[in-house]
Amino acid sequence: MTNFNWLLDGSIVGVYLVATMAAGLMVRKYVGKVEHFLVAGREMDVYLGIASLAATEFGIVTCMYTAQNGYEKGFAGATPGILMAVAMLVVGLTGFVIKPLRDSGVMTIPELFEKKFGPRIRWAAGVVIVLGGLLNMGVFLRTGGEFLVLVSGLDVRYLEIMMTALLVGVAVYTILGGMLSVLVTDYMQFIMMSAGLIVVTILILMNVGWETMVTTVETNYGAGGFNPFINPTMGWEYVLFNLLLNTAAVLTWQTIIARVLAAKDTNTGRKVYTRTSFFFVCRFLIPGIWGIAALASLGPVANTLEAMPRYLSTAVPPGLMGLLIAAMLAADMSTDSSYMLTWGSVIYNDIMAPFRKTRWSEKKGLFWNRSIIAFIGVFLLLYGLWYPLKGDLWTYLGVTGTIYLASMSVLLIACCYWRRANSWGAGAAIFISAAIPITYLVSEQIPATADLAKTVGPYYSGIATYLLSGAAMVVGSLLKPQSSGDLRKEAA
Amino acid sequence: MAKHWFWWFMTMACVVWYSTITVYVAIKGGADIKNMLARLDATKAREEREERER
Repeated sequence: MTNFNWLLDGSIVGVYLVATMAAGLMVRKYVGKVEHFLVAGREMDVYLGIASLAATEFGIVTCMYTAQNGYEKGFAGATPGILMAVAMLVVGLTGFVIKPLRDSGVMTIPELFEKKFGPRIRWAAGVVIVLGGLLNMGVFLRTGGEFLVLVSGLDVRYLEIMMTALLVGVAVYTILGGMLSVLVTDYMQFIMMSAGLIVVTILILMNVGWETMVTTVETNYGAGGFNPFINPTMGWEYVLFNLLLNTAAVLTWQTIIARVLAAKDTNTGRKVYTRTSFFFVCRFLIPGIWGIAALASLGPVANTLEAMPRYLSTAVPPGLMGLLIAAMLAADMSTDSSYMLTWGSVIYNDIMAPFRKTRWSEKKGLFWNRSIIAFIGVFLLLYGLWYPLKGDLWTYLGVTGTIYLASMSVLLIACCYWRRANSWGAGAAIFISAAIPITYLVSEQIPATADLAKTVGPYYSGIATYLLSGAAMVVGSLLKPQSSGDLRKEAA
Repeated sequence: MAKHWFWWFMTMACVVWYSTITVYVAIKGGADIKNMLARLDATKAREEREERER
């Protein structure tokens, strides 16, 4: 039994959904070119960028895994958020990588790679980005559906139907309006999502109390619940892996970088980064508080991922429940739309580049972009509903994300700052950073190798991926004989 | 509170900063959308004019 009231809370959710869909559809008339569709004509300003970046990077799936981190690791579970905030602040202040990237005028990261490493690396980078991104996004639907079913008390049989309807709705406005629809709906979704997150957090802090939460963490996890370095499930390897992962995400995660590329100039992109950075602490700590409150109220549960929604289903009163669900729908819709668009943009701009030898008309380009997004939607429905998730969600996302984050961050840094970097190094880095995480994921699923995968663990495997990918870039680049043109450039 | 001041401070900072930035972005972001759509409109009109002149 939950506190969800179909008349009161259902009306709040219904009004929100209709308003968002209407706004998303209204801006479709401004889309006349592929550039409008993919990067909003590069007209995005700072505050819209902050709203869009924050809304995109917080989905139900984020709320679920960060709450799971809070439930399983206490306050120390918010460590990845702090690391990401620091990385984003430093990158925003210095312009490291994002300045040359935005200055180059490209629409996707692989497009920049072509200038340095050639068309084959651009194509391979596109494949790796889409592979890593879609595997990562594959678990969004089911996890989001589980949250909504648990909080609203809806019959679990309707999970697939509900999430399919939601995805179709999001796909319709994303297909028609592209990045313009994404930005406008993200803005509305940011306001709705933030209102829900803040109100529910204040309610929890008042009801459960700070002292109770601290005592609960102390009782269950001791000092390790406050310090990641002494937490037995975390340690230095967890912190280092997350530092590498989050720094790489800030530099290369296509949905984050899309905001820099859509910004009206480089300074706007950097301001979006610096001013959104602290949001990434909130992104982990606020749901983490919810997870700790669930631990304090429910005690040990079999499925830690479900603890937070189960707790909220009875702790949030009617009226606020509608706000919470609307907030979470807002969070999920903004993430889904933006992810579909940005992975679609890489498929069109980079993977399909060899098929666009002659210039395509804007009409044909828009048609293909829209078709690709529809295809991604179908993939999400199929993959998202059958992949059996093992281990904790944040680790799955970290491992699948590493498939591309490791190589793309190495390639991007080398592309921007190392003159000697070349296609051999880039190819080797891509191969290494795809091979290690995929081997780990496959080993985890096969009974014969599952124990070995468990012994190595995701953190060491992840750290090895980043370090070996960097080493592969250096070794590969140094091994390739330099042409006389390269030597002249280097001398100059 | 004194024992775990870091996490208390971070939690309070999240609530205060997030509340403030939400209101601020809600106001300024609305203006950004208006200006963005106006610029896109102006660009479209200019391109159509140039097209006709050609």
